[in-house]
Amino acid sequence: MNAFKFLLTFLLLAGLALAAGSCSKKADPNKLTSELLPVADNPLVSFHILLKVGSANDPAGKEGLGQLALGLLANGGTKTLTFQEITKRFYPMAAQVDLAVDKEMSVFTTTIHRDNLDKFYALFRDMLLDPGFREEDFNRLKADQLNFLEKTLVGNMDEEFGKDILNLALYEGHPYGHQEAGTVESVKSLTLDDLKSFYKQNFLQGNIVIGLAGGYPQGFPEKVLADFAKLPEGRTPALALPQPQAPQGLEFVIAEKQTPATAISLGFPLAISRADDDFFALWMAVAHFGEHRQHLSLLFQKIREQRGQNYGDYAYAEHFIQGRDKFPATNTCRRQQYFSIWIRPLSNSNRHFVIRQALRELRRLVEEGISEERFNLVRTYLLNYTKLYAQTLGERLGWQMDSHYYGYQDFLAEVQQRLPQLTREDVNRAVKKYLNFQNIRIAIITQDAVKLRDDLVANRPSPITYANPNMPKEVLDEDLAIQVYPLEVSPEKVRIAPAASFFQKPGLPQQ
Amino acid sequence: MLRVFALTAALLLLLGAPLGLRSQGSKVFPYDTKVEVLANGLKVVCVPLSNPNIIAYYTIVRSGSRNEVEPGKSGFAHFFEHMMFKGTKAVPRPAYDDYLTRLGAGTNGFTSDDHTVYFVVFAGRDNLEEVVKTEADRFINLYYDEETIKTEASVIEGEYYASVSSPERRLAELLRDTAYEKHSYKHTTLGFLKDIQDMPNQYDYSLLYKKRFYAPDNSILLVVGDFDQARLMELVKKYYSPWQSSNYQLVTPVEPPQNKAKRARLAWPSKTLARLAIGFHGPAFSDEKIDKAALDLLAAVAFSNSSPIYQKLVIEEQKCQNLFAGFPDRRDPSLLTIGAVIKKDEDLPAVEQAVWQELERLKTELVSAELLSDIKSNLKYSLAGGLDTSDGVAGTLFFYISLTADPGSVNKLFDLYDKVTPADIRDTAKKYFTLPNSTTVTLTGGQAQ
Repeated sequence: MNAFKFLLTFLLLAGLALAAGSCSKKADPNKLTSELLPVADNPLVSFHILLKVGSANDPAGKEGLGQLALGLLANGGTKTLTFQEITKRFYPMAAQVDLAVDKEMSVFTTTIHRDNLDKFYALFRDMLLDPGFREEDFNRLKADQLNFLEKTLVGNMDEEFGKDILNLALYEGHPYGHQEAGTVESVKSLTLDDLKSFYKQNFLQGNIVIGLAGGYPQGFPEKVLADFAKLPEGRTPALALPQPQAPQGLEFVIAEKQTPATAISLGFPLAISRADDDFFALWMAVAHFGEHRQHLSLLFQKIREQRGQNYGDYAYAEHFIQGRDKFPATNTCRRQQYFSIWIRPLSNSNRHFVIRQALRELRRLVEEGISEERFNLVRTYLLNYTKLYAQTLGERLGWQMDSHYYGYQDFLAEVQQRLPQLTREDVNRAVKKYLNFQNIRIAIITQDAVKLRDDLVANRPSPITYANPNMPKEVLDEDLAIQVYPLEVSPEKVRIAPAASFFQKPGLPQQ
Repeated sequence: MLRVFALTAALLLLLGAPLGLRSQGSKVFPYDTKVEVLANGLKVVCVPLSNPNIIAYYTIVRSGSRNEVEPGKSGFAHFFEHMMFKGTKAVPRPAYDDYLTRLGAGTNGFTSDDHTVYFVVFAGRDNLEEVVKTEADRFINLYYDEETIKTEASVIEGEYYASVSSPERRLAELLRDTAYEKHSYKHTTLGFLKDIQDMPNQYDYSLLYKKRFYAPDNSILLVVGDFDQARLMELVKKYYSPWQSSNYQLVTPVEPPQNKAKRARLAWPSKTLARLAIGFHGPAFSDEKIDKAALDLLAAVAFSNSSPIYQKLVIEEQKCQNLFAGFPDRRDPSLLTIGAVIKKDEDLPAVEQAVWQELERLKTELVSAELLSDIKSNLKYSLAGGLDTSDGVAGTLFFYISLTADPGSVNKLFDLYDKVTPADIRDTAKKYFTLPNSTTVTLTGGQAQ
């Protein structure tokens, strides 16, 4: 039955792609492209309207412009309807438009029941193609964006704050090097005219991919494409991305605030992305080392399970946003990637120990690679787990779009082909080629920052204690090695700044 | 071509997919559910779907923080959820991790006021027996020693730390602690910090907890997706029959009526948006009595993003970044909460006053039939939007099953929504939204560090 269903989907897909006269491959780069995934028996319809423009395209001094301008489309009125009126009309349909802005792409997503498709689409189309640029919407969203930067991110969500500090540290002076929401200074300077200019310069056919999935009626994609084809042809010139500066040794950035728990994120730029053949091998190694929120993760086993230090510890071979459940979100593709480790908040008293532990484990990974047993386990895991990545309509559409971005027909099918061909040696070779344990940027949110710096620089022993008086001997023995594991930390490479000083201006705060 | 159309029709019948919610007679939850009960009391709810090759296997234990009725035991249901991943003598922890890893399953547990739920979502019906066998084993034969519980207790403290910077978490703790006098809803699922810190010493209690609540007569299996019903039941009977029922009768304290308004305030150590939460003691979930259904609709009438007060405070005057109402479904009477995130501290009193004015208006004015119809439509389409995968169906249905043990509750509730009239909304507003029945908590920021 599933084979028949696949055939049916394939036939419809092929027919509609032809009928729409558009496909993402070999298209005129100045014209619209589309990604269609018809599923005739599904009562829902998902839209992913992707714009190949992200925060990296924000002009200097206007960081956060893309987020605010696109936010105004997703959460503002049209020329004929106020946002209040749109909200009222959306309500009976349980409709909403979500927006995600990443470094090099942004996406408007929504899923609607096909009962409401025509009514919803008429509103959605006008939001994107006939926006009102209303002063009151602008003021509301600008204030929200400023509050997010000044209060929420810095004061209310340390886990995300830590990841954003790492991003600032990894990409100083680089187009990726600011929070998608910008800085307090830049957002304050944005005007409604800036947003109108952004729209005019970037809402061009060649920047847009129309993604549609589900049980839409015949002829619907053609209608959507015809509407968006009224946008001017053209595209935003490709952004030149310099190589991010490689860390020189261990480089710390500490945001200081009063807190009972320390949040830690660390990493370095990678010269590889999902588009590269070596990615599969590196991805396997990183899954072994720190698969997101899975027991498989070695860091999770060592830091949480054996020692109860915190809620979890993970590592990533590319930028990772958690989507539904624990699965990766889609439509956050980038040309340049980074490796990272995420240590969830832990007691301040154990921070030095865990920094040592994470770096020591990374060293062991680089020097020793992974065992044959772990290699086989990780491969089996990934072959099965990735079958769950694309379940909802939106996920299926998102993975289809991302596959094409990175040059694959179907990345998840590619996984099933490639992984069985890899050897442990391939994985360990990729580890040696792309990972390192000496040149790393480390972002920390904690209190008593000077003490931490001094402890790090002096390589002071950092023993820890446990509630359990009968900890296993092998754990205690390993602790003896961890607590004195030497780190080469120069005082000038430990930058300390008050938490409230982050995101005020571009880059990291000055000391 | 004819064959393709015939195939489509067959698929629709097989999936039971709704042709449209407007279709006469269609149920909001459209799938057939099959229920069987084992001799030991274990209820099994099955929803077979031809969803491509994915099975969602949920174990619902009808025990959550509601069951933490003894002093010093707050947070224990959640703590025990962690212990459920520690393995058995037959399948010790490393082997259990190994099984889940090889299966490549989406798996986790989560705890709420009324339930603790464990799910394994996996590909391939060939794996069904291994999942049934291994899950049954851990529910029947869970084994851990005193050392294990001590280490895991510090993980819980770490989980507390993970959200320590969240004002919502702290405000929710304060609201419950202030509003309730006796009922175990007084604490959040994570529990009071002092009780979390005492968890390393609770080994004996953990054994008692398991005996009382982790029993077939307090649990329900929910299996959704691509499997054969007869084969599933054969496996369930084989592996779950040895599970001993507990017959334990939980008595939750009755919360006395609140006769005087309460207030509390929280200072935040750094810059933050201000928060307001007003809680009112409300009814328990029911798919038969009109009160809770009317309140669900009332929450939307008054505080959804299309409501007049939301439009005024969030969109027009822009005093609030957000405004919302949460009237959660709970087995025992629980709090109806109205919350606001406020941009300037000085606007907090005005926002509070505006919320009260809206509530007073609802006690006298009748809601228009058109608005009520829009809200019922929203609730139906919101539910339908989450039903396109095995996991989505299970993730929706488990919640209603945990409340009543009846998979039919979801459609009964929506039938009840259809019966709610504007007068019902006015009457429930009068009944519950009184000053003496209210608890107000606020949070405002201090100086940035």
